[in-house]
Amino acid sequence: MSDENDDLIPQKQSLFPLTADDIVDNALQSLDEQQAREVTKKAADEVVRIAVEKRKAEYRSDRAQEEMRNLINNANLLDDKVDDYKINSTFETATGTTSVEIKKSKTNTTLVIVGVVLIVLLTLLLVLLKW
Amino acid sequence: MVYLLLLIFISVIVAFCIRRRGAFQRQKKLTRAQENANLVKVLLELDTDSREELFQLYQDQFGENAARYARNTYQKWKAGSVRPNKQTFSRFLINLPRVMSFDLKCEVLRELREAYCPRGDYNVTVSVDNWKSSLTPLVEEIIQRATSAELPESLQRRLTWLAQDDILAANALLAESQARESRNAMALLEKEFSNIDELLDNAPRNTRISHVLKLPLGSITVQIKR
Repeated sequence: MSDENDDLIPQKQSLFPLTADDIVDNALQSLDEQQAREVTKKAADEVVRIAVEKRKAEYRSDRAQEEMRNLINNANLLDDKVDDYKINSTFETATGTTSVEIKKSKTNTTLVIVGVVLIVLLTLLLVLLKW
Repeated sequence: MVYLLLLIFISVIVAFCIRRRGAFQRQKKLTRAQENANLVKVLLELDTDSREELFQLYQDQFGENAARYARNTYQKWKAGSVRPNKQTFSRFLINLPRVMSFDLKCEVLRELREAYCPRGDYNVTVSVDNWKSSLTPLVEEIIQRATSAELPESLQRRLTWLAQDDILAANALLAESQARESRNAMALLEKEFSNIDELLDNAPRNTRISHVLKLPLGSITVQIKR
């Protein structure tokens, strides 16, 4: 029984589709020696390029972290001293761009409070009038 | 008489709809000249060194005057204020690839892949605690896309050098390279989110943060909530 089951297991054929390596291998077989050398050299160059890009990205990340800390310090200082402010900042980071918006608006808060008080008063007035 | 008027009325409406549809399809489909202009524009996105190599090759093949004109006009081609003619397109994308180094062809192919392979662009809202589980499947999808991305058939038919064996190998190589770049970005996100976490912990209450994760064949715009 066990032998029968073993027959059902594919021995060499992969269930997965062709990988990029397979495609490169297949393509390399059709190339002449010079072309194969160029492809191999380009592959090595790409590995180096990616490593360099990664290092540059790490550097951008460190710089962004420092800039973000400065932003927090400035925003906190501003927050203590000013009632209305808005800061928009964009940082080039390792993987893209981070945008930060910090705002404080006392005017808006006051307006909301006044609005809520007015609504409450109006509701009370309506209820009293009904009574 | 009433039936006749009704018939005329219906015919006018049908004709109007057909014309509108035709105009819409014409608008959607690019003319050959626009396609050529876009392809030249993509080619001119090459980095400075590769572009210089390209212009040098252009000079060697088509003479100093043609090269001077190309150098003087390329910013306008890029901006779209001047449309390159058919001869310019053929020189850059049909004739020059025959004499380009393998390295330069790879760089041209990289630009073509970034411009013409289907992209995945997503918008997602995450918190600093669950970002990984939300972003990992999307990045995986973009990686899969990079691995299997093919240039459109119409483009491959026009630029026949794309079907040469060395370019097929280059295509597979660039696909793998783009997939690796995307995986690296995912690894670098760990540090990015630690920075964002620190920012959210220490910044004033009304702070809103978004991050655009840029990958070779896609982007993810992430809104970060506290």
